[in-house]
Amino acid sequence: MIQIEHLHKTYRSGFLMKPKLALKDVSLHVEPGQIYGFIGPNGAGKSTTIKVLTGLLNFDSGKVLVNGISPRDVKSRRFIGYSPEQPYFYDYLTGRELLQFYGKLVGLEGNLLNERITWALQLLHADKDWIDRRLRSYSKGMMQRVGIAQAILGKPKLLILDEPMSGLDPMGRRDVREAILELNRDGVTIFYSSHLLSDVESISHRVAMIVDGRIVREGTVDDITDSCGIEYHVRTRVAILAKDLPEGVVHAGHPQEVICADDAARDRLLRYCLDNGIAVEKMDHKRPSLEDILTEEIARADA
Amino acid sequence: MQTLKHIGIIALNTFRESIRDKILYNIGLLAIGLAFFSIVLGEWSVFDRAYVIKSTTLSVMSLSGLLISIFVGISLVQKEIQRRTVLTLLSKPISRATFIVGKYFGLLAVVAVHLTLLTLIYYAILFLTNSQPTVSLLTAIYLIFWEMAVVIAIALLFSSFSSTILSALFTLGVYFAGHLSNQLLEQIRFASRMGEMGDTSTALLEKVAVVIHAVFPGLYRYNVTSYVVHGLALPDMYLFWNTVYAIGYVGVFLAIASWWFSRRDFL
Repeated sequence: MIQIEHLHKTYRSGFLMKPKLALKDVSLHVEPGQIYGFIGPNGAGKSTTIKVLTGLLNFDSGKVLVNGISPRDVKSRRFIGYSPEQPYFYDYLTGRELLQFYGKLVGLEGNLLNERITWALQLLHADKDWIDRRLRSYSKGMMQRVGIAQAILGKPKLLILDEPMSGLDPMGRRDVREAILELNRDGVTIFYSSHLLSDVESISHRVAMIVDGRIVREGTVDDITDSCGIEYHVRTRVAILAKDLPEGVVHAGHPQEVICADDAARDRLLRYCLDNGIAVEKMDHKRPSLEDILTEEIARADA
Repeated sequence: MQTLKHIGIIALNTFRESIRDKILYNIGLLAIGLAFFSIVLGEWSVFDRAYVIKSTTLSVMSLSGLLISIFVGISLVQKEIQRRTVLTLLSKPISRATFIVGKYFGLLAVVAVHLTLLTLIYYAILFLTNSQPTVSLLTAIYLIFWEMAVVIAIALLFSSFSSTILSALFTLGVYFAGHLSNQLLEQIRFASRMGEMGDTSTALLEKVAVVIHAVFPGLYRYNVTSYVVHGLALPDMYLFWNTVYAIGYVGVFLAIASWWFSRRDFL
């Protein structure tokens, strides 16, 4: 559904038009039917990639195809629904008038248009009376829901959402998460960026992590977290001296608690305990979260 | 067919947006006020009252149309970019040219409505003051409309790549160049015939004036106030050829604006 290969994008800014490389050799493949999460810190290149996909930004080099069509071609946008980060709309319109306007632009009219508006609002739990109020009175959460509603009106094959959960309260986040899953069950491919990594972990089939314009990790959430190995937290009945700790094992702030960096370190610690008659009271394993990995990648990029 | 439909939808939205713009009402009220003030001017003037009312009101129509075309025109595209509404709009299956053309027709419709309302007020004033309202006055208003059609296209062209203030200055520059280019060329040729300037400077100035005359739209063609208020006939096919001339310039300006706009990145 989305094919990006070796994408480079440079911005020029300031009086001297100083170039800044925003995307460096970005490659991504999103298969039909996937929910694809795109994560990274602010300014990493998430919105830039999304704007290239929607034809809002030109790019320097590389290959970008949406449903087999270049985003430079208007036809590619027939298959796309897009909601920008912090969507802004014509505030002199009501929510319903705005949806009618965008619905007409994707070829809907008459009863079909009204039915789609009702469907989209119900899906996002936005079928409240505020939809008939002017947009200038909307909260950020209401605006976000209207933004997503306008994106799904045309029943797109590919839904691209830039930070869809930003500005939403927990209930709103749950509604949007459920809407994404519901649309995906109906066959819609979803490509979205988010800062809320717990949401990304819970609903994404695949994830790409972008830091400083480069894709640093890509795969399923399990692939990414497994690639970092599992830590083991072990509590022993008696303290082990730091000098006696096997390789790969460190104290965890208490002489009776240690952390094993990987499976081999865990095995070495258990052998040491057996050989020295030290009882193991408790052992937990901890898989690193996407947040841990992202933090590590950001630190690596800064270094 | 789909493109025409999209142009219509964007034009309608632009029309709705523009008629909510306070600046439009300020200009409209000012124009209405000045139109009525022409009655007072007619009474005070040493010239024929009907002549003063007709020429003043046509000037008011032209000036208010110009103010709307420039000040609403330059903000149309810039507002969409600054408020970031352009992001959602251009992610729909519409080309950037469709967006520009839709915006153009939306504002053109606003100017058409504005001129229509002023025309009704204009004729009401002429009837009330027994100032011999004639149908021929409509030809002057028709040409004001086409002049504004060109000015809106110029404003859109500049606003597709520059800031609001620069767009206003550039548009005003082209407007004045378009009105004065003919006069400038005639003056230089006259001075040349009279031998008031040296050969070299005359030749150079004449070349510059010829280029300005050829490149900038000859907006002076659309000011026929003195003809119609004095009841003089315009040359045959004058309206037709100047309509074609305006459409030609509008087409060129919108094509350049669309091309430029297509190259822009929207952050």
